[in-house]
This record gives sequence, structure tokens and C-alpha cells, in this order.
Amino acid sequence: MASPVLADRPAVTPRPGRRRRPGVGRSDHLIGWLLITPALIYFVVFLLYPAVAALYYSFTDWNLRAPANWVGLANYTELLFNDVQFPHFWKSVQVTLQYTLIAVPLTLISALAQALLLNAIRRGSNLFRLLLFLPVVTAEAAVGAIWRWLYDPQYGLINAILGLFGIPKQNWLNTPELVIPALAFIAAWQCGISMIIYLAGLKGIPESIREAAIIDGAGPVQRFWKVIVPMLRPTTFYLIVTGTIAALQVFGLVYVIFSGGGGRSVTGGPEQSGLAYVLHIYLYAFRYDAMGAACAMSFLLLVLIMIVTALQFKFLKQEAS
Amino acid sequence: MTAKQVRKAPIYVALVLLALVSVVPFIWMLATSFKHSSDIYTKVPNLLPVDKQTGEWAATLENYEHVLGIGGLGTAFLNSVWVCAILVPAKLLIDALAAYAFARIPFPGRDKLFVLFLTGMMVPTITLLVPRVHITQVLGMYDTGWGLILPNVASVLDIFLLRQFFMSLPGELEEAARIDGAGRMQIFWRIVLPLSKPVLAVVTITSFIFHWNDLVWPLVVTNDPELNTLPLALQQLASTESGRAYYIMAGAALSVIPVIIILLIFQRRIMQGIAFTGLKT
Repeated sequence: MASPVLADRPAVTPRPGRRRRPGVGRSDHLIGWLLITPALIYFVVFLLYPAVAALYYSFTDWNLRAPANWVGLANYTELLFNDVQFPHFWKSVQVTLQYTLIAVPLTLISALAQALLLNAIRRGSNLFRLLLFLPVVTAEAAVGAIWRWLYDPQYGLINAILGLFGIPKQNWLNTPELVIPALAFIAAWQCGISMIIYLAGLKGIPESIREAAIIDGAGPVQRFWKVIVPMLRPTTFYLIVTGTIAALQVFGLVYVIFSGGGGRSVTGGPEQSGLAYVLHIYLYAFRYDAMGAACAMSFLLLVLIMIVTALQFKFLKQEAS
Repeated sequence: MTAKQVRKAPIYVALVLLALVSVVPFIWMLATSFKHSSDIYTKVPNLLPVDKQTGEWAATLENYEHVLGIGGLGTAFLNSVWVCAILVPAKLLIDALAAYAFARIPFPGRDKLFVLFLTGMMVPTITLLVPRVHITQVLGMYDTGWGLILPNVASVLDIFLLRQFFMSLPGELEEAARIDGAGRMQIFWRIVLPLSKPVLAVVTITSFIFHWNDLVWPLVVTNDPELNTLPLALQQLASTESGRAYYIMAGAALSVIPVIIILLIFQRRIMQGIAFTGLKT
């Protein structure tokens, strides 16, 4: 275990050209460990231990009524194959994948459009950037509360605006087929971070390349597909990876949107159509007190996230070569 | 109009439309929060707090009074203030000390430890949640103020960012100070920290916004409504008063306005910070 005792070991070789005074190396070891100690304690207690414990508990039947007993792979097999014990597990997988598949592209397209427009102007660009960024710094709880009201079937602003175009009123958050598009739209509304990152990417495209394309007679559409999109490919991949990882973990927003009936009660939405995977984990961990099963679910998510990341990086490598 | 202005006009039109999509929900929130309950339910939505019948200006603070008092958001607001007031500086200090050691002080095992930290950063929060709550219970901090603060009091991402910045500082200054007999801690306080104001600001602001907005941790680590933080109280308001949009929007405004003020003051810093860190989510 890490401890200041290590300071007694021989000091590291001094870098050339560096004046050393006696004792500096030793006291450095001590100071180094001292400075890291608070962060290290935090890391061990609230990160390393929970990670290892979550893996262990995923192989147990830990709940509030009984201490943890080792059950091997039972949690995992029950989750995947026992739809009596876990009736909504696959539904939550489906909901989350659908949400991810809609929300991530929608967010990226919206972010890229905003970044392209912002990049094309000088005057007022700071103001527009600020306004487009507002939704990002807003608390999930507030976002959920505001959008519940915007989507209100009778008096909400969304139906009123769509009404101007002759679209009939929809009960957005209470119609199973509409729940995921409605949630994905909120995600796209909050695309500000991707927008800023795209903007940085656009600023990184050398002016000379743009000019060369113009000289070669490329119009704006051709420039977009032949210059901007390829040059932004690394940015897009980064945003797809981080966006997918975030979307797979969507929780707070859904929790607020589907809480009701007072206090902390929450549902999965109409016919479980808003039962995000992490919401499902939350319910098992903190409402049904099936912590072992919840840990197993969270490890399946971890594996899925690792697979997504690996696949995308593999794809990225293929693209590059 | 010049040719250039004509060419740019559609761009501005598109940006105005997008900015409206972005901002109108907030205007609608504010308008609702200042409306009398009788003026909420209208056929054609009103983006201003006006009387339903006469169309005259009719703003009220009743909704704010209600949610701050009976609604419990007053207590929750103060809770969020003190949690952030303790947590954000404590976290900054712990992260900066560790980052400085990782960046500048050679000690055995340092780089391996740093890699271990980075690996830990990859684990999604939800995976850690159940055991983290459990250990908070074991340590007697469940449903207490400490439970809201200590399990968040360091951040590997922030350590990483601060370390990167400290490493980019010119080493000569520190070397010169050492030759003049300054100790490591003196160098840290007198030279490194003052030179690092930009990155310290970014870390402080993003960390404030994150914890001010955080719903999940307070949700799982507290039970007592007296310990509600603002997002948690807002969620419960939305759950309990689901038919009364005027209360809920007043609550949402209380949560949103402080952060918007911070964003207005520090927008440049925040945008720069995100461009290279991608804000924590």
C-alpha cells in the first residue's frame, strides 16, 4: 500500500543540469505522497473500492433483507433470460438503444448546423453562441420540468406552435411511440457542448484549404461534403463516442419527466416506453432493494460501453487507413 | 445594403430561429412563473404574464413565495448554496495539490498511480453508485450533509486537467525559486497557483455548475426532505404539484437563474474550457 515509508528508498537519479541540495529527493518523496494523500484516500474509498465491490455484488443476491450470498452468474442469466423476474429488462435495453440511435445523430446534426452558421459570421457571434449554449448549463431537473410543461397536451407551447402548421395536438409524453422522439428532441436542444467542439474543429481547418477549394470552383455544397465533413471526421468520431456513452446513461432527465404521484416516485412512462436502462437500474437498486441484480445490470452497461468504444475506434482506424 | 450583407442575411435569419428555439423555453418558464394561476390555462399560449381576460400586464410573485416557503425550495436553495460553498473549494484544493504532485514532484510509483487514477475515470458513475451509497452508509454519512459533500470531494478529471496545465508552465521559474531556497509548498502557493488562474477558474466554474445541477447523488444519498438540494426539491415539486405548472416553473427558475448569471459573467472562460475538456457529464 502506498505510504510515506517509500521515502526511505534511494532518491531518483537527478536530472542533468539540475542543482541538488542534500535531502531534497527524500523530502520530495514525502511531500509528493502527502500532497496526493487526500485525493488517494478519495480514490480508494469512493472509486476503486466501489468499482471492485460492484463487480463482487453482481455475483451475489444482496438485498436489504439478507446479507450478500454468492450466487455466481445467476443475476446475469436471470436478467437475460428470466422475463418473469425481470419483466422489463429487455424493454429498457430497447428503449435506451432507440433513444441513443435517435438522440446522438440529431444532436450532432443540430450542433454542426449551429457551428457552421456561427462560423460564417463575425458580428453577434458571441451573443448567438451564448444563447445557443443556455440549455447546456441548465439542471436536468429544470430541463425535465420545463419540457413537461412545453409538451403539455392541452396548454403546452409545442402543440400550440405545431398547431400553427395544422398539426393536431399530441400527448407527447403519454403516447408510447412519441416518448423517445420527444426525449431525443430535448437532447438535441441541449447540443451546445458538441456545438462548441465542432466550432473549435471548424476554426482548425486551415484557411488555405478553403481557398484552394474555392479556386478549384467548388460551390458551398461541394465544399461542405468534400472539405468540411472530411476535415471534421476526427471531431465527429469523438462526439459520436462521447455522445453514445452519455446517451446510454440517460437518467436524470427521464427521472424528472416521469416522476409523479408525489415525492420520489417514478414510472417508466406509458407502457414503459421511457424506461431508460439506468432508470431501470435505479429502480432495482433503490426502490426494489435488489442491489445484487442492479450491480449486474450496471456491469452489463459497462461492458456495452466498452464494446461501443472499441467498435467505434476500430471503425475509426479502418477509416484512417 | 452591401452584397456581403445580403449574402449573410439568411445566415442571421437561421441563427435567430435557432436561438429562439434555444431561448423560448426559458422565456416560457419565466412567464409562467410570474402568472396568476388563473392566467395559465389559455387556448393561445402567452409568452408574457398577462391577464387571461383583459390581456393587461398581471405579474405576481405568489408562486415564488409559495415554492420558497411551503414548497420547500427555500431550504433546498440554502442547502445547495452551502454544499457548493464547501464542496467546490475543498475539491479544488485537493485536486490542485494532487495535480501538482503528479506534474512536478518526482516520487516513486507516481506515474503508475496516475495511470490507475485515469483508469478509474473510465468507470461509469452508475456502476459505482450502489457500493458508493453503501460505503457512505457504513461511514455513517448517509442522509447527512457530509454524505452530500465528501463522496464528491475529488475529481480525477479535474486532477488530469490541472496536471496538464501545471506541466505546461515553464519550469525555470520554479527552479529559480528553489535555488533561492523556496520549498515545494511555497512554490506551489506563490508561483504555480497564481500562474494557473485561468485553469483554476475553468475547473471552479464547471465544478460549481455540475454540483449545483446534480440530481443523482443527492437523490440516492439522502432521504430527509430537510437535506434536499435544489434539483431534488424541484423534482419532488414536479412530482407532487404536477398539475400546477406555475409553481413548477417558479422552482425551475430558481434553479436556472444563478447558473445563467454565472454563464453571463464567465462565458468566455466556460466556452474555452469546454473546447478543450468537453465539460463533465
